[in-house]
Parts: sequence; structure tokens; C-alpha cells
Amino acid sequence: MSSCENPNTDKDALMTRRQKFDGKTKICIKCKENQGSIVVRYAVYCKSCFFPLVQTRFRKTLEPTINPTPDGPRRKALKAGGSLALGLSGGTNSTALLDLVAKTYYASRSAEDDTGKGKIRGGTEHPRNSETVWKGRPAVCYVEVCGAFPTEEDRIESIRNIVNRYTDANFEFVPLRLEDAFDPSWWQSIGGGDLTTSARSLGLALTNEDLLLVDATPQCTSLEALRAYLASLPTKTAFYSAIQILIRLLLLHTAAARKASHLLLGTSLTSLSINLISGIAQGAGFAVAAEAKEEWTPRLDSSSSTIRVIRPLRDVGMKECAIWNWWCGVPVAGKCRSMYGGGASAIGALTRDFIVGLETDYPATVSTIARTCSKLSPKEGIHSVCILCERPAQYGIQEWKAQISIRSYHNASGAVTGNTRPPHLSEDEIASLTKSDPYDSSSSSPLHSLTPHLCYACHTLLTSRSSRGTAALTSAQESDKVTLPLWTRSTLDHLNQHHASATSISSLPKWKMSQSEMREQIKDFLLPDEG
Amino acid sequence: MTSTISIKIEFGGGLELLFNNQKSYKIEIPSLVPKDNSTDAESLSTKEKKPADVNYLIHHMRDHMLKERVELFMEKDTVRPGILVLINDTDWELEGEGEYLLKDRDEVVFISTLHGG
Repeated sequence: MSSCENPNTDKDALMTRRQKFDGKTKICIKCKENQGSIVVRYAVYCKSCFFPLVQTRFRKTLEPTINPTPDGPRRKALKAGGSLALGLSGGTNSTALLDLVAKTYYASRSAEDDTGKGKIRGGTEHPRNSETVWKGRPAVCYVEVCGAFPTEEDRIESIRNIVNRYTDANFEFVPLRLEDAFDPSWWQSIGGGDLTTSARSLGLALTNEDLLLVDATPQCTSLEALRAYLASLPTKTAFYSAIQILIRLLLLHTAAARKASHLLLGTSLTSLSINLISGIAQGAGFAVAAEAKEEWTPRLDSSSSTIRVIRPLRDVGMKECAIWNWWCGVPVAGKCRSMYGGGASAIGALTRDFIVGLETDYPATVSTIARTCSKLSPKEGIHSVCILCERPAQYGIQEWKAQISIRSYHNASGAVTGNTRPPHLSEDEIASLTKSDPYDSSSSSPLHSLTPHLCYACHTLLTSRSSRGTAALTSAQESDKVTLPLWTRSTLDHLNQHHASATSISSLPKWKMSQSEMREQIKDFLLPDEG
Repeated sequence: MTSTISIKIEFGGGLELLFNNQKSYKIEIPSLVPKDNSTDAESLSTKEKKPADVNYLIHHMRDHMLKERVELFMEKDTVRPGILVLINDTDWELEGEGEYLLKDRDEVVFISTLHGG
């Protein structure tokens, strides 16, 4: 802003808008010859300099991560440890990513020869001219979300047409559906293994913060299970975040099943900033580093190697991606409008509107968000991996939450399982509250509660009620038993078996005992009171 | 008789869904338009005029071409943040954004990034 008069005192004062590009001329800052065609964060580029700019940023982010040992002589030998999986949503960024991957690593040599007048473009060491970097056939995975939005149409075929345009790359199109997360046949098809009878119907009671594990109805279809799961979530924010988590895990498990070493996602600088701010707002600050770069190892399959989740466009803005698609003539199917255009009151949508607006007025601010977040690291080490989102979880979440949260009597049993005692409750009252668990006696599993296995963000996602009392709250109370995604059930099943072999701890009571009960337990060892 | 200019409009990134799912339009707009960008016939004949600019074009599109959900196209008298505009294949930020004076046979492209990811 060049003028900052106070509009309250001087009604005629207007904030003049800052010019969107540096310098006095519209000449490209790179070649310094051509007229500029696009402004990228105040810098002007011509059309012919724009393409190498985007491609260089893409490769600069991706290529140092390709070889299993990152510090090797990477330029001469780009060789990944496994195959390639790419997540495509049909939106601007992931469509640009697909185009960039196809042109950089899978373009046919003959086509390049034609344009390069007989010469091999980029030299013999260019990745395009060597053998393919990744093993096997590259997979493009698309997760159809229409199961969660009954008014939306199925777009698998239109996405398939976009993928099939790249005949040279020979991409394998892998369509997935959101409800696959609850479909045992899909779970088996990706080698997820068989679940025990109890795990097959493992569900969740969302009645209090302990998130007790119960028997849910296993007869329903995967689509019904998905809808029941989403309907049980307490807020709109949780609804959209849960879908994002399901998409991410579906992609990761599919990539693992295909022995992929890399999963590429089309997160641009703009969407990375949105994800970071939205994640922090929802309590996922501990895993903030994972938003930009993460490595994921399947828990149960020891033969699977680690998958690197890479966002090669994290230095490229959404604007550049859109212009890339337009100038390259790449058709964009557009994302599901209910998923990405709806939920105006959800934290994700509010953050997106804020960041996109910010980027229009102050383009450099968005990259500042991403760069600042990349410097953040948690104070404490990783304690475990969250069973729902499979991201790192910190130590002692529940103890901390018990100390900072204001709880109602309704949730008192959850509150007093920690070391704190509400001052208005006597010890006997606490003991009776903590024992009055409707599911405790009926549950046959030694793992009673999901809460200890969740990260702070996922626990908040499942339990945080809207202060306004939404319709979702009512439905959550009505259908208080929901089935869990299969990977969560499978991991619980695994933990259950481990737990069963070390049972001595589980025989101890889980609630805080009153003094009289403690006295009763150890009465045989007490010395009689003197006098 | 008022003179008109011919403008070619194209949509990208799924924005055409708001405009009857048609990717390309060729429209005629008056070369002189009301200063307040109102597009009804009465205003066109009576109000104070200015040469047609992109701001007027956006209002014309909202009033005569948009089929649904104006909030997905416009915000505060301009296009919504997240919609890119190219004028004759050049970023409109280089051309003065909404104040660019339209010429006959100009091509204006609107690209949505809102559903990106």
C-alpha cells in the first residue's frame, strides 16, 4: 500500500492498490527480451520462459527425493526403489502435476526428436532420455467422493479420459471410491489381510470422549458404513477433514499395495499454505512437517518398504498451475464441487477463501506461510502413530487435554481418568462416575477405547462439538455406534492380539478407585490400627 | 445507433460450468458503457458513459450470461479471488486488470483455480 491515510478521519482517502509487478517495464525478467505474459509473485515472465520456470521448480523439489539415498550422485542416475503412484483429484494442481510427470519422465523420444530437429533434447543424461526412473507401470489413482455427496455425479470416466490422453506414459488408471475404506473385499485386494471376527464389526461409540470400542452392525454395505461414519461426526469441519483423511489413506494403501516408492500429490504452494493453516487450526500442529513432506510405512505388512509422499509443486503457486494447464491445452475436469466448493462454514473452506484472497492481494505472503511452517518442529519427539490418520502423535495428549479442557458432567468420566480431580466432586462420586460405563462390562476386547491411539487432531475431530449445536450432533447421538475404516480396525486387531499375550495389566481396573476400595483390595496386608 | 465491439470469451478450469457448460462465447458489447457498469438497456441510453473496459465486461457476464451462483464468479465488483484473467493471452495484472480498455476482437479468458488440489 502506498497511502495509509485514516479513512475514518479523511473520507476521501483511498488505499491505492500496489502494482502487481516490480519494475517499470513489462519485459520478461529472465530473457530480458520478450514482452511479459504472466506475473508470478511480482516478477514478470514471458511465455517461453514460463515453462522452464515451472518445470525447474517441479524437478528441484522432486528429484532429490527419488533415489533411496538422497545424497547420492543424483543427476547421473535417477533410480527409484519402487514404482510410482500419483494422486489425481481432477483439480487444477494435480492435473498440472500429471502433465509435468508425463512430459518430464515419460515423453516419447521420437516426439522429442521431431521437435528437436533430430537432436535429443536435454542431452543423453536428461531423465526423459534415459530409461524410466521408476520401476513398473506408473499408477494414477483417483478417489471418487460421490458416495459422500449423493447429489454429485460419478466422474470416474471423465477422469479416465484425461489420464488416457497420455498414451506415451502408459499410465495405469486406478479408480477408488471413498467407501472402499469400509469394503472388506477392497481391503483384501490390496493385501490388507483377513480380520478376525471381532475386528470385522469393530465400531465406535461417540457418546463420550473415551470413544469406546463396541460391536457395530457389520451387515450394512460399505456405502452405508461410510455415510453412517460421516453422519456421526460432530461438525462440518470434521466431516470434510474425515473425507480428506480417508482419501489420503486410500491413496497410501493403494500405493503400498503396488510396491510404490513414491506417491506424488498435486499440492501447490497455495494449497500447501491452506492445508498448513487449516491443519493448525484443527489441532494438527504436531504433524505440521508432514503436510509438506512425509514418509509412510504400512504398519502391518513388514515386507512393504517406506513410501515417500512428495508434493513436487509445493514451490509452484496455484496460478502457475492453472496457466500451465491453459497454455498446454490440458483439460481440467474440475474437482467435486460439493467437496471443494461446499462446507462454507468448515475451517478448511474458510481457510481456503482467506488464503486465496490473500494471494490475490499480497502474492508473496502465501509462500511466507509455507516457508515459516517448514521451520517448525515439535518440542517433543514422536510418541506413536495415530491409528486413524496414521500421522505422528505426541506424548501425553489426554493428560494435557484433561488439564486444559472445561468438561461437562456428561463427560466427567473422561475427565477424571487423569490425575486431576474436579474440586466439587468427592472421591466416591468420582469413583462412581468412572465406573458407570455402559460398554465396559459388555466389551470382550482388552482394548476398550480408541482415545489412547489417536493424535490430538483426530480426537478433536471425533469429539469436538459445535458450540451452536448442529444437526450432526443429533444424528451422532442417534446412531452412536459407527464402523471404523478398515485400516483402523486392522491395526486395533493387531494391537488386540499383542495385548492378549500380555494380559496382566489389563486385569487391573481402569478407573480411579476410592480410598475405601483401595483399602478393601489390600486389607489382608494392612496392620491393625494401634490403640 | 451505438457502436459495438466484438469480444471473444473463453473459460478454463471448470468455470464454464457456471456459464451453461459452454467453453467459448463471442459477444457484442457497446463501445461506450455506463460509468457505474450497469448493464440494463435504460442505463445504457441515459447514464454517463466511459469506454468499455474489463470491469464492465465482468458485470455484463454476471447480468446476461451467468447461469448460477454469482458468488462463485464475482466478489466486490470484480472477479472472485482465485479466478485468473488473461487478456489476449497475457495476465490481466500486466494490462491494468479491470481498467483495461477493451478493443474490437479482444480475447478474454477466465480460468478458475478454486477447485484446485
